[in-house]
Amino acid sequence: MKIALCSSFIPFLPSGARNIVEWLQAMLEKEGHQVERVYLPEVDAPDLLFQQMTAFRWIDLSAADRVICFRPQSHLIRHPHKILWFIHHLRVFYDLWDTPYRTYEDDLRHRGLRDALHQADTAALREARHVFTNSQVVSERLTHFNGIDSEVLYPPVIDAERFHSRGHNDEIVYVCRLEHHKRQHLLVEAMALTRTPVRLRLCGASISNTYPDALKQQVAAAGLQGRVMLENRWISEQEKVDVLADCLAAAYLPLDEDSYGYPSIEASHARKALLTTSDSGGVLELVRDGDNGIVAAPTPQSLAAAMDKLYTERQRTVAMGERAHARLDELNISWSHVLKRLLA
Amino acid sequence: MFTPGLQASAIGRMSTLVVHALRAAGHEVTVVRCELESLMKKQSHDFGGTVLSWGNQAAVKAAVAGADSVVYQVGNNYDFHIGCLEWLPRAPGIVCLHDFFLGHLFWAWAERNRPAAHAILRSWYGDTVSERYFAHPDSDSFLASTVDAAPMTEWIGAMASGVITHSNWGAERLWRSCAGPVHVVPLPYNAPAGRGAAAHSNGPTFHVLTIGHVNPNKRVASVIRAIGNSSVLRDHTVYRLVGRIQTDTVVALSSLARRYQVNLLISDELDDDALVSTIDQADVVTCLRWPSLEAASASAIESMLYGKPVIVTDTHFYSELPDDCVLKIDPEDEISSLQGALEKLYESPELRSTLGARAKEWAGATFRADHYAQCLTRMAADVSRVRPALTAIERLTSTLAGWGASSDWLSGDESRTALAIFGSSALDN
Amino acid sequence: MKVLIVNNMAPFVWGGAEELAVHLQKNVIAAGHEAEVLRIPFQWEPASRIPSQMLMVRAFELMNVDHVIALKFPAYLIRHPRKTLWLLHQYRQAYDLFDAGQTNLPPGPAGEELRTLIRNADSESFAETRKIFTNSEVTRQRLQNYNGFDAEVLLPPINDAELFDGGQAGDYVFAGGRINDMKRQYLLLEALRHAPRNVKLLIAGPPDRPADGERLRALVEQLGLADRVRLDLRFLPRTTYAEYLNGAAAVAYLPFDEDSLGYVSMEAALAGKALITTTDSGGILSLVKHNETGWVAEPEAEALASVLAQACENPQRAAARGAAAKALWLSLGINWPQTVEKLLQ
Repeated sequence: MKIALCSSFIPFLPSGARNIVEWLQAMLEKEGHQVERVYLPEVDAPDLLFQQMTAFRWIDLSAADRVICFRPQSHLIRHPHKILWFIHHLRVFYDLWDTPYRTYEDDLRHRGLRDALHQADTAALREARHVFTNSQVVSERLTHFNGIDSEVLYPPVIDAERFHSRGHNDEIVYVCRLEHHKRQHLLVEAMALTRTPVRLRLCGASISNTYPDALKQQVAAAGLQGRVMLENRWISEQEKVDVLADCLAAAYLPLDEDSYGYPSIEASHARKALLTTSDSGGVLELVRDGDNGIVAAPTPQSLAAAMDKLYTERQRTVAMGERAHARLDELNISWSHVLKRLLA
Repeated sequence: MFTPGLQASAIGRMSTLVVHALRAAGHEVTVVRCELESLMKKQSHDFGGTVLSWGNQAAVKAAVAGADSVVYQVGNNYDFHIGCLEWLPRAPGIVCLHDFFLGHLFWAWAERNRPAAHAILRSWYGDTVSERYFAHPDSDSFLASTVDAAPMTEWIGAMASGVITHSNWGAERLWRSCAGPVHVVPLPYNAPAGRGAAAHSNGPTFHVLTIGHVNPNKRVASVIRAIGNSSVLRDHTVYRLVGRIQTDTVVALSSLARRYQVNLLISDELDDDALVSTIDQADVVTCLRWPSLEAASASAIESMLYGKPVIVTDTHFYSELPDDCVLKIDPEDEISSLQGALEKLYESPELRSTLGARAKEWAGATFRADHYAQCLTRMAADVSRVRPALTAIERLTSTLAGWGASSDWLSGDESRTALAIFGSSALDN
Repeated sequence: MKVLIVNNMAPFVWGGAEELAVHLQKNVIAAGHEAEVLRIPFQWEPASRIPSQMLMVRAFELMNVDHVIALKFPAYLIRHPRKTLWLLHQYRQAYDLFDAGQTNLPPGPAGEELRTLIRNADSESFAETRKIFTNSEVTRQRLQNYNGFDAEVLLPPINDAELFDGGQAGDYVFAGGRINDMKRQYLLLEALRHAPRNVKLLIAGPPDRPADGERLRALVEQLGLADRVRLDLRFLPRTTYAEYLNGAAAVAYLPFDEDSLGYVSMEAALAGKALITTTDSGGILSLVKHNETGWVAEPEAEALASVLAQACENPQRAAARGAAAKALWLSLGINWPQTVEKLLQ
C-alpha cells in the first residue's frame, strides 16, 4: 500500500510526535509498504491558525492509498481514506482554556476563535474513516469537546527487543529529559527522606541549564551526592538499554501528561517495576498500583516510602517487573497490533 | 457604537435605547457620534457614559482596539452618517441598517471617491448602471431609476461583518453581499412621556396628523386630495403637518389644500413637549410612504406606541405589521383607498379606540430595546466565530488579487468542498 | 544558522531533485549549520488545482528558521525574510513549454489567467529573494527571458566526491548513467563494430524501461560484440559505479542536446578520466575540449569508432587528457563547500 504519514512540525524542534511517525514509517516499510512522510510547518499563533488550516485543506495526497495524520492541525488534510492517530488538540483552546497556560485574553475575539476552531476540528475529525488516539485521556477529550468516538492505540517503542533484564541493583532510574514538569526534583526531595540505601539515577538532556543546575544544588544541599547520580546529557540508546537492564526499578512521574511516555514502556520491556504518582496522567493507564508498579502520592514522603518499599521488598519488585512486561501484551502495545489496526 | 447623536436623528434616539439596554445587560458601551462635525454643535441625545466624536482619530482608534465588538448605525443620510463611512472599512463591525435604499448616502460619498464608486457600481450592478448612475437630470429620476435597480444595499452589506436590519423586504441583497450573519430584528423605539391616550374624541374636529420631514414620498398631497374628495372629511378634518418643510413645499401644499378646501395646518419642527402634545391630540396618524425606502418606520412605531390609529401604505415594512394594528391602503389606488380608510376611522370612534389599543399593546411587546440588545450581543458572538475563517479567506483572495487573478479560483467545487468545514457562510461570499 | 531547504514533493516519487536536496542538507550541516528539508506535496494535474496549491504554500508560516533555500515552483513561493533560490525548475508549462504547445494549462482565457497568475506569483517571489541561482545556463536564460530576473548559474556539485579518486587507466571505456534513447548508448555499440578488437566497452546503469535495456542486449548479440562488451543494466550501488568509473581508460557520455553537464561527466573529470562525447551533446561540451581533455566526435558510428580506438590504444595519452579534464573541472570550483557558501550569503 502507498501510505502517507502526515504531521505538523516546527523546524529544528524535536517533538515526541516525530518518533511516533518515524518509527511507524520504519515498521510499515519493513512490511513492504511504500511510505511517504509529510511534515508541514505550523505555528500556533491564534491569528495565523485559520490561514494555515486553509492551507492544509489543499494538500493533495490522492496518490496515497491512505493517509495517517498525527499532530494538529494535520488532521485537516483531505483524503478519502483518512486515518487519525490523534496525539493532542491545540490544548490551549481546549482543556487548557481555563488555566494559566492560556496566554490570550478571554475576550469575545478569542472565544469566537476557540469556538470556530472546535467547529472546524470536529468537522475535520468527522471526515476520518477511523480515529485512534495515544491514550484514554485524549480519547476522553475528543468525546467531550468534539463528540467524536475514538479507539486507543498505544504507541510502541522501536526495536523493543533491545530491552532486557540483567538483574536488579539498588538504583531507581529516571531516564527522561530533565525538565520541571517531569519532576525529577520531587524524587530528589524524596531521596532525602528514604531510610534504605536505595539510590537514584537521573539521566537526560535539558533545554537549558536552569533546571539541571537547580537539581545539582538540591542534591548537594541535601548531602545526597553519594546516592544520587545526575547525568545531564543525552545518553545513547545502548547506555539506556544497559541502565534499564541493571536497575531495581524505573520512575516516570511527569505532571499530568497525556500519554504514558516512552520511558515507561521501555522499562516495562526491560521487565522492571514502575514508580509513578497519582497525578501523572496517561502513565496511570499503564501502571496499576501493586501490580506492575507503585502509584505514590505526589509528595516526597509518599515517594520516599515507595522507594524504600521497592528496595526492601525486592522479590515483590522483581515480580512487579515481570507483570510490567506482561501488561504490555494486555494493553496491546506492539507494532503488530498497531499495523493491524491502522491498516484495517 | 457609531451613531448619529443629534436630536433630529430618529436613529440617534433608537441608539440611546439600545445603548441603555446594553448597559442594563452588563455591557460597557462607548458611543462615537458619526454625524458631520458641524452638526455636533446641535443638541444631542443623552447616551450617558463616554461619547466620542468620529473625527477624534486617536480616541476612536483606542476605543475600537479595546472593544469586543463594533456596531455601526447606518442610514441613508450622508450628513448624519459620514463617520460610519470613514471608519467601517478600517474597523470592521456589525451594521444596524436602517435604510435598504442608500442611494443618497452613496452619492454623497461618491463625490470624492468616483473611481472607487464606479468600481463598486460595476461589480454589483454592471457597466450600464455604472455609466448612467451619475448622469440623472434630477433627484426624482435618480430615485426612480435606482431605487430597485441599484439601491446600494450591497455596498454596505459587503463591508459589514454582520448586519441587523429591521424588516425583511430588502434583506435579500444583504444575504447575498454580507459574508457574516444577517438577521431581522424589530426596530426599538419609544414613546417618551406618552400618555398613550386613546383617540381624542372631544369635539367634532377630526385631527389627522403626519409627522416628519415633509417630502413627496410621505404622500401629503394624496392625503389632502383624499380628504378633499370626501365632503364629510372636508367639513370636519384638520390635517396637521409637523416636521421640517421647505418654503416652496409650504406654498405648493397650501395652494393644493385651498383648491380642495382642506383645512391644512403646517407646523415645521416642534420641540419634544410640543410634539408629544400634538400626537396626543391626534385622532389618526398617517404614515404613508411611496416609494418606501427605509427598513422600518420609527414614526409609525412611535405612533403605535402612543396608541394611535395609524394609516400606512401596504408595502414593505408596513405590510409586515399585523392587520388588527394598523389600516393599510393600496398604493395602486392610493387616494380612494385613503379616503375610504379616513372615512371609516372618522365614522367609528370604537374602531379608532380598538385599533389604537391593539397597536399599542403589540408595538410595546415587539419593538423592544432589550430584545434588540440581546440580538446584537448574540450576533457579536456569531461574528467572532465566523471572523477567523473569513479573515483567512480574505487574506487568500487578496493574495490572489495581488497575482492578478479573481477569487473565482476559490469558488470552484473543489475549493468549496475544501473550505466547507469552516462554515458555509464563509464560502458564499 | 538554521537552514530550511524547501522542495516539492511528488508523493512516492524520488528523483534527482530529492537527491540534490538531501545532499545539500548534508553539506549545509557539514559547513556547521543545522539543516532540514521541507517537502511540499504538489500535484499539477489538473491545472485548475494549481492556484489553490500556490495559495497553500504562500499561507505557510515558518518559525525557528534563519534561512530558506528553495528549489522549485511552487515551493519557492513560501514566505521568509531570508530566502535564496536555487532554481531547478519553474513551472515550464506556463512558459517555454506553453509556447511549444506542450502544456497542461487549458486553452483559452482560463489558461491565460493561469499563466498570468503564475507569472505574477513568480515575480513576487523572485523579488523577495536575496539571490537567485539556477542549476544550468538554460534555466538562467529562461528566467531572464520570461521573467526578467538575473541569476547566477550554480552547477550542482558531485555527491560523494571522495569516491572518485581515479586510478590506473584501464582497458575499457566506461559509459554510465541512465539507459534510454536520448542518452544514445546504442551509438557506442554501433561504433564498437568498426573499432579494433582491443577496444572494450562497459555500459552500466538503470534502463528507464525494460525495452531500453533490451535494445542494447539485442545489439550486442546482433553485432557479435559479446567478447568486448560488458552490460550491467541495473541501478548500481554507488561504490560499484565508482569502481567502474575509476578503473576506466576513458568515460563516454553522449546524450542528445542535454542542458546540463551530466553527473557522469563531472565524476569522470574529477576522477581524472578523459571524456568522450559528440558534437551535438549539449552541456558537456564545456568540459570536453577535443584533443585536450578528451575527444569530441560526430555522432556517427565510424567517427566514434576512431575516437574509441584512440582512447584505448595509448594509456599515457588517455591519462594526460584525463588529468587535463580534472584540472579543468577543478578550475570551475564546483564543490559543495563553495556552493553552500554562495547559497547562504
